[in-house]
Amino acid sequence: MRCEEKVKGGKLVCIEIVPKDGKAAKVRITGDFFLHPEDSINALEQSLEGVDLTSGEDEIAARLKKALGQAQLIGASPEDLARIFKRASS
Amino acid sequence: MRWRIIDYSENDAYMNMAIDEAISESIVKGAPPTIRFYGWKPSAVSIGYFQSLEHEVDIKHCADLGMDIVRRRTGGGAVYHDHQGEITYSVIGKEDLFPKDIIASYRLICGWIIDSLGLLGIKAEFKPINDIAVGEKKISGNAQTRRGGVLLQHGTILHSVDVDTMFSVLKVSDEKIKDKMIATVKERVTSVSQQKVISRDELYGALLSGFTKGKDFGLGTITDEERNRALELVEKRYLTKEWNAMR
Repeated sequence: MRCEEKVKGGKLVCIEIVPKDGKAAKVRITGDFFLHPEDSINALEQSLEGVDLTSGEDEIAARLKKALGQAQLIGASPEDLARIFKRASS
Repeated sequence: MRWRIIDYSENDAYMNMAIDEAISESIVKGAPPTIRFYGWKPSAVSIGYFQSLEHEVDIKHCADLGMDIVRRRTGGGAVYHDHQGEITYSVIGKEDLFPKDIIASYRLICGWIIDSLGLLGIKAEFKPINDIAVGEKKISGNAQTRRGGVLLQHGTILHSVDVDTMFSVLKVSDEKIKDKMIATVKERVTSVSQQKVISRDELYGALLSGFTKGKDFGLGTITDEERNRALELVEKRYLTKEWNAMR
């Protein structure tokens, strides 16, 4: 499962999901956005692993915001990632 | 605060990224803030920290052309670094030298490039997040990371642009094709030589002036310790598949 989208502002975000039993077993977020500190990408991906693929965008965005903590995502938003996750999983 | 200015030199892609990291490490230990100018020999492709290597780069075609491919420590997009077509810089210093706000710090450092282009009679402006444009056309891309209390920003200033080679080595996604990418990029990217008849040496002279304006600075070199550490980082990180293909 894969979806990529050019988000508002022009950055490209791609989300790939390996599904298993209706859940996201593995999630990979790639693109030309910025994230400070960069290592936070692991927490963002892990926050979506185990998520039911029928979960709503709001719930997914909330998970991402929690995982993001004080880290700064620049060029994309948690809402963008949640929307792309849903498009990838549908 | 006295800045160290490291004169233009050319290295392969792995060494260029390793030198930036080695300088970042030495600044943690007390080395002065540093501005370095460099070129890529051979021509190369660098990809952003979060990008997928296989989705962004035609690896086989790069190999056929003898081009290096390296993953940067900074985010942002894939860049084709033409050996003759651009000048790259890095600005490395403790974070407290720069605005805390990331966009404000891009604006500050990109301002030095805008000043440099202004010296050549080219009116450019900062386009957040990380670009500089002449009119609506991009002339410089920049990327920043902050690790261990040190800010590293590097970027390229295009002297001439070879869009056809660029798109022979960079893969174009479906989304980008929707934007009629290649034709659009030819319309949306410019270079110093497309703006004025200015040599690469003249551009470099202007960059030296623009980046050092108002600063206490001295011409310096990479120390032996930094070079040795960079050589180590080439082997341990930048030349490895684990790093370059990690995404």
